[in-house]
Amino acid sequence: MGKALRPSSWLMLLYLLPGLSIYSFVVLVPIFSAFRYSFYSWTGGPKRSFIGLDNYVEIMRDHVFWQSFLNNGLMTVYGLIGQVGLAFLFALFLLSRAVRFKALHRTISFFPSTLAPIIIAFLWTLIYNYNYGLLNEGLKLLGLERLAQSWLDLSGPIVLLVSIPLSWQNIGFYTLLMLAGLSAINKEVLEVAELDGATGFRKAWYVIIPLAKPTLMVASLLCIANNMRGFEHIYAMTGGGPGNASSVMALYAYDTSFLRFRYGYGSALAIAIMALTLLIILLSAFALQRKRSTDGGGS
Amino acid sequence: MELRAELAAERESPHLMRFGKKLAMNAIMLLFTASCIFPLLWLGYSSLKTQAEFSNSIISLPGKLHFENYAEAIKLTNMPQLSLNSIRVTAISVVLIVLIAFITGYFVARLQFKGKRLMVIYYLFGLLVPIHALLVPVYLLFKETGLADHWYTLVIPYVAFNLSMPILLVSSYVTGIPKEIEEAAAIDGLSFSRTMFMIIMPMAVPVLTTVAILQFFACWNEFSFALVLLKDASMRTVPLGMSYFKSQYSTNYPQLMAGMVLSMLPVTIMYFAFSSRIIAGVMAGAVKG
Repeated sequence: MGKALRPSSWLMLLYLLPGLSIYSFVVLVPIFSAFRYSFYSWTGGPKRSFIGLDNYVEIMRDHVFWQSFLNNGLMTVYGLIGQVGLAFLFALFLLSRAVRFKALHRTISFFPSTLAPIIIAFLWTLIYNYNYGLLNEGLKLLGLERLAQSWLDLSGPIVLLVSIPLSWQNIGFYTLLMLAGLSAINKEVLEVAELDGATGFRKAWYVIIPLAKPTLMVASLLCIANNMRGFEHIYAMTGGGPGNASSVMALYAYDTSFLRFRYGYGSALAIAIMALTLLIILLSAFALQRKRSTDGGGS
Repeated sequence: MELRAELAAERESPHLMRFGKKLAMNAIMLLFTASCIFPLLWLGYSSLKTQAEFSNSIISLPGKLHFENYAEAIKLTNMPQLSLNSIRVTAISVVLIVLIAFITGYFVARLQFKGKRLMVIYYLFGLLVPIHALLVPVYLLFKETGLADHWYTLVIPYVAFNLSMPILLVSSYVTGIPKEIEEAAAIDGLSFSRTMFMIIMPMAVPVLTTVAILQFFACWNEFSFALVLLKDASMRTVPLGMSYFKSQYSTNYPQLMAGMVLSMLPVTIMYFAFSSRIIAGVMAGAVKG
């Protein structure tokens, strides 16, 4: 290779350094500093006292944190069904010759993904509102007035209720992701997706799903990562309430630090969230990968 | 093969797929698309009602269009100031993202160097890392280093958190450009940097445009880091300002809705102006991801 094709090492470093440093400063350095603070009791003032592993011991016993963790898990499950699952179905429909207005469906359904999550959360707070909500109004029009609720005050189904806006907003994105993955599959094979009767669905199950597995895997991993990091929707819609019924890990760490000023414990929570999330992503990647190779249906 | 036979059978009898089934699939898709857009349309037309009109009938269209909701919302949110802050942060972030992603993506696509694989994995880590777990640590770091509460504060996390996908997109795009172009440039005596910026960068404009639009959305919409890193009210971005607006004036729904519509306007215009390119870009990124 000529000299012009390969710059000197110094020049290469010079080009890569700005990106690497800004990225490291925001992604890597805080992880290390949080790790250090996690061994302290600290209210934000100049005094920090070293308390060893006490914060981590407290996390182990902190039922609000573990409830938040479970809520993240539950949201992930709802997300896998309501985002990845439905998106897969819609993508199959959109690839079918029978469906009209494909461009319109794609364009409109992706639009909500481009909007600010915080504004979407406000919109859904309005939809769920007791007196002025679209949902209760719709129920009234259907003659189901007795079902009208102050939806976001229900602690039972609250995690499902806050997961619906997430699915509503992101389903278009996952549909595009599926479409991209499925388009890479041979067109002839895809004609099988013309779902006609039970045999059609069986064919979809046995033919398309194995071929779409890499795409489904990427989508599932993204969906898991996105639901484990959820924050804004919950912050804006319920603030974790009623009680702690809809709390998620990131929100709990936020409250601990910014409302209760326990920065040491908040840092320990950050480390715990990081570790748990990456563990779950790794485990699911491993599980999905394994399933793919044992099925032998890859591509 | 059984599959082949079935395919053939299907092609011979295209009428097998009954009319009803077709209708059902179309109906499901139309219902889905309608449910995606209806809440937003409701938001749009409700923002033009009076408060009384809205509470009388939540779902009906406005009788007279009350644009004064918008005037009030602009005044109460101090929208010009919020927009200015958002535009500044977003514009600087997007330019930096495009530049850094181009250089890094080009290096990944074209050069072999020690630690390249590690660097790619390191950047990919950014797609999976629970960034909101970093809210507290990033806040502490910015407070300690004195980086919080400046006009440029948000540029730092916005660039850092939005590099991963663009780098992937650029590197896959550059891989598709024939290597002969650089070889020819080298024969003509162009230096490495000139070749990268003056020959390849113009050729990568399509992917860079996609990156710019998608990152414009990401930066314009970001709320969480704005929430923890900005205390000074004069620095607030649109989503942050809207959050304060909502908590203060949440009883006047049409007015709140007018503010929400305003905050979505730039993204909406951008989206419908470039939707086909945006969709193609997202799909290209999906295949790479």
